[in-house]
Amino acid sequence: MADEFAKGLGILVTAGLGWLMIAATYNTPSFEGRQLAAPNPDPETLNLYGQLAIMLKDLLFWFAILGALTFWVVIPAIEQAREARSE
Amino acid sequence: MTGDTPDEPTESATDRERVATDGGEDEVAADGTGIVPPDDETPTWSERKQRSQGLSRLTYEYFERSRREDQDLRQQSSYVERDVLAFPTWPHELVRNLALTSFFIGMILLLSAAVPPHLPGPADSGSTPAVILPDWYLYWSFGLLKLGPLNPDLSLLGGQKLMADRTYGVLANLVVVGAIAVVPFLNKGSARRPVEQPFWAGVGVMGVVFAFTIAVLSVKNLVPMDSHLLFDLTFLAPIVCGIIAYSVLRAMREGYMFDLNRRYYRLRPPK
Repeated sequence: MADEFAKGLGILVTAGLGWLMIAATYNTPSFEGRQLAAPNPDPETLNLYGQLAIMLKDLLFWFAILGALTFWVVIPAIEQAREARSE
Repeated sequence: MTGDTPDEPTESATDRERVATDGGEDEVAADGTGIVPPDDETPTWSERKQRSQGLSRLTYEYFERSRREDQDLRQQSSYVERDVLAFPTWPHELVRNLALTSFFIGMILLLSAAVPPHLPGPADSGSTPAVILPDWYLYWSFGLLKLGPLNPDLSLLGGQKLMADRTYGVLANLVVVGAIAVVPFLNKGSARRPVEQPFWAGVGVMGVVFAFTIAVLSVKNLVPMDSHLLFDLTFLAPIVCGIIAYSVLRAMREGYMFDLNRRYYRLRPPK
């Protein structure tokens, strides 16, 4: 139980940190405007690393959300269902 | 649990034997209800009940068992008992502290390199910025300066206010700081968890929520809400949240674990 919580939290904060750094670089045009959530820059203006980073950003975002949900909701629910069935 | 040391579990048995030796009947009630008058050793019904039933019995057995196991382990062990007050500084404490320190320094370096902070232009003392706000941790005090609607008009003074709104706001700061300063004298904080003193937990929740709502009030121009409604919510929300916290905690007091914990701290008071 506690292990699952720690795994979910680890995924959330680690992937979230990666997402934060990439979004701060590519999706924060100015301090006064929208931060971290501004639209992606035009892919034509980005080099290969930039395009990879944008892809990695989406990957990390969904990994953070789905990873935490998996360990906090899905796996405990499966465990509960298994217990309920075995009784 | 007032003053009954649970160290005489066989009391009633010895009583029964003693009674039987004087040639009495086989079945003699030794509990003070029979023909034998109760003496000082005879436990009362409430004492008997306290030791023989339910939670008190369970608690007593638990602590007696753990004490006994502890004693057995100490006697069996060949370990020479010493007074160990702490772990040695090197390597135990320092390695742990260095690991934590390295992690946080690394995090600072990583973030400052990957997420460089915004550097605004040089300050221009000649122009006033559009939005003037204190640092966020002073918003509550800034919000207290906006209590104008609470400043009463006195009919004695012909509808005049006794003091200016800004003076009133500064005095409100004194009231809030004074209330916070008085709380430790009213309650010493002996509760280990909120459920033990629901009233004071409710007061605490009220204070925390008020700190938040008054901070929101200070930036009411930026909050997408009717400012009169926001003003009312600033003072109603803390009261509502405090009452909810009080009732929830009060309901939790009925639980089994609360009773057990209370007994635990009576038996082993925290140092």
